[in-house]
Amino acid sequence: MALARIRDLTFAYPDAPPALREVSLEVGAGERIALLGPSGSGKSTLLRALAGLVPHFHGGRFEGHVEVDGRDTRRVRPAELAGTIASVFQDPEDQVVMARVENEVTFGLENVGTGPDEIRPRAQEALRSVDASHLAGRKVAELSGGELQRICLASALALRPQLLLLDEPTSQLDPRAADLFLEGLGRLDATIVLSEQRVGRALEFADRVLFLDRGRLLLDAGVDDAIRWLGRHRPRYLEARASTSSAPPASIPLLTMAGVGFAYRPGLPVLAGAELEIRLGEVVTLEGPNGCGKTTLAKIAAGLLEPQLGTVFRTGTAGYLSQDPGRYMVCEHVVDEVALAVGGDRQRAVAALEQVDLAWAAGRHPRDLSSGERERLGLAAVAVAQPDLLILDEPTRGVDPDRKAAIGRWLLGYARAGRGVLVATHDRTFVADRRISLAPPKEALVAA
Amino acid sequence: MKLALGAVPAAIMLAAAGTAALLAQRVLSAGVLAAILLGVCLSASGRARALYLFGALFTGLTVLVVSPFLWSGGGTVLFSGPIVPVLGPVDLTTDEIELAALNGLRLTALGLAFSAYALLLDHDQLVAAAGFARRSALAVALATRLVPTLERDAAGLAEAVRGRGLTMRGVRAHARLLSPLVAGSLERAWNLAEAMEARGYGQAGATRAPRPAWTRVDRIAVASSVPIVVAGLLWL
Repeated sequence: MALARIRDLTFAYPDAPPALREVSLEVGAGERIALLGPSGSGKSTLLRALAGLVPHFHGGRFEGHVEVDGRDTRRVRPAELAGTIASVFQDPEDQVVMARVENEVTFGLENVGTGPDEIRPRAQEALRSVDASHLAGRKVAELSGGELQRICLASALALRPQLLLLDEPTSQLDPRAADLFLEGLGRLDATIVLSEQRVGRALEFADRVLFLDRGRLLLDAGVDDAIRWLGRHRPRYLEARASTSSAPPASIPLLTMAGVGFAYRPGLPVLAGAELEIRLGEVVTLEGPNGCGKTTLAKIAAGLLEPQLGTVFRTGTAGYLSQDPGRYMVCEHVVDEVALAVGGDRQRAVAALEQVDLAWAAGRHPRDLSSGERERLGLAAVAVAQPDLLILDEPTRGVDPDRKAAIGRWLLGYARAGRGVLVATHDRTFVADRRISLAPPKEALVAA
Repeated sequence: MKLALGAVPAAIMLAAAGTAALLAQRVLSAGVLAAILLGVCLSASGRARALYLFGALFTGLTVLVVSPFLWSGGGTVLFSGPIVPVLGPVDLTTDEIELAALNGLRLTALGLAFSAYALLLDHDQLVAAAGFARRSALAVALATRLVPTLERDAAGLAEAVRGRGLTMRGVRAHARLLSPLVAGSLERAWNLAEAMEARGYGQAGATRAPRPAWTRVDRIAVASSVPIVVAGLLWL
């Protein structure tokens, strides 16, 4: 029997074109569904429709019918569906209500009227299931992004939902933590719909695949059929590792860091004796688990932080892209946001937007963009000034494989034109000449 | 710092201290209360402490410096300036300075009491303890959390601007970040509201997790808050 039914769903946010167009599907009890598609294709909207948040919370034009557990989502409030459905949204920081971890997990249980004596044990059980019991007494403000994502999942699991909706829940996790996260999901009894841009993991986890593009459901199939379809229509989604150009980079160093040490708090060094060299013409990725100091090293390389130990030599200018795309929304229009770094030169701004496939959004407000589009906007806003050294912190979070490959190609071209690129990333498929790990082994030459 | 008091008794004590400071009639009394509250605030750690202390002390100092010129009182004239339309004579007397010091210290003490509430108290406990006014308590707790969030967002925005090779100098450059900062916090509030709705907030029949009973120290603290206010009214 179907747990959820969607019939002929077309939905448009207020003053916007349809985000979903004539979508019909059924979700059976116990299914594991991977929801794939480009940035802005309607994945988050589909999850919101299943949770009843569309149209109740967002307004807009809603046609069709969505039913979950026999209830029409237009007739019941999303809050009334809580317990049957649980959602984990893209940005964990924006969904935390309480100040302490255990209280955060009990928040939903209290709302749905769980018996008082059951609340704490169920919260502890949920924390155990995501391997976060040790965080129970911590303040949420002190947690890393990865820890916070696990707490959000625990809050959802504590409700023992029939339908669990996950919107890119591993976006802030390193590969090992993401594997553990999905492994944990695999042990659950609930029906799960998982929106993901890390396609390989999603396909391993799922038994059914949906593919959305421009609001239309292009594929609804089992994993084997989906892999065949992706191979024919979206081959980038199946690539495990991006290739790199064989052109050897020059040996002229753009940036040399030696013995760099840094601590945000005395006695707790984030970096100790870090070494890094970026040469003219190359793209280098900086990898390592959550909390290993990638962002700190990238900021020091960009000159945004001063090292407390060691030396940094850089020739030319540096540009730095933060991992939070919400920081590139200072202006009212996308084109002005990008033009900010080039003295308001809109022509250059449009050219930079074209490089990241966002020229169509030049006149829109940056906040109207999806998370993947915001990420690309940030990239254009930093790269437009063509700094000699372009430093990017997690530039592909929420970016679909096709666009990620295009960005990779463009960055290679950018570097080969006599500049350098450093990318701090969890994404092992990102194109690079060299990969440097902050955890041993120190360095591996990819393009050898 | 781990506070020995529960959050509710501590909040009542801080409210009593703030009220006593407002009721105090002597500069010395208001000064002592402000100093005690400053000591309490200094026991907090983290970057947010500096922000709250700056806010409380700057507000009090502003009142001390500005208000003598806006009010005409008696006492020995220390400085006599021109007569300004609307404001009247711009002079400085001993009485004006004394009243400005009293008001400045009252406001500082009140600001420090709020800072201690924001920095040291477990707001979850306050929300849990709020009976009929749970929504209001939650709104206050979320609003309190906004200050450090805004500080972090502002630092992030400024860093992102510098990362684009632009310099951030002067009030105008920083003022330009005000609008995106407000827009960002509104978007964050919207996302949080959506997440709360999805988690069943506002449903009828909500329950509460059991919470620990008040200790003897908690009860003594609550009982002593009444004499603190009375002392402020009658003797301070």
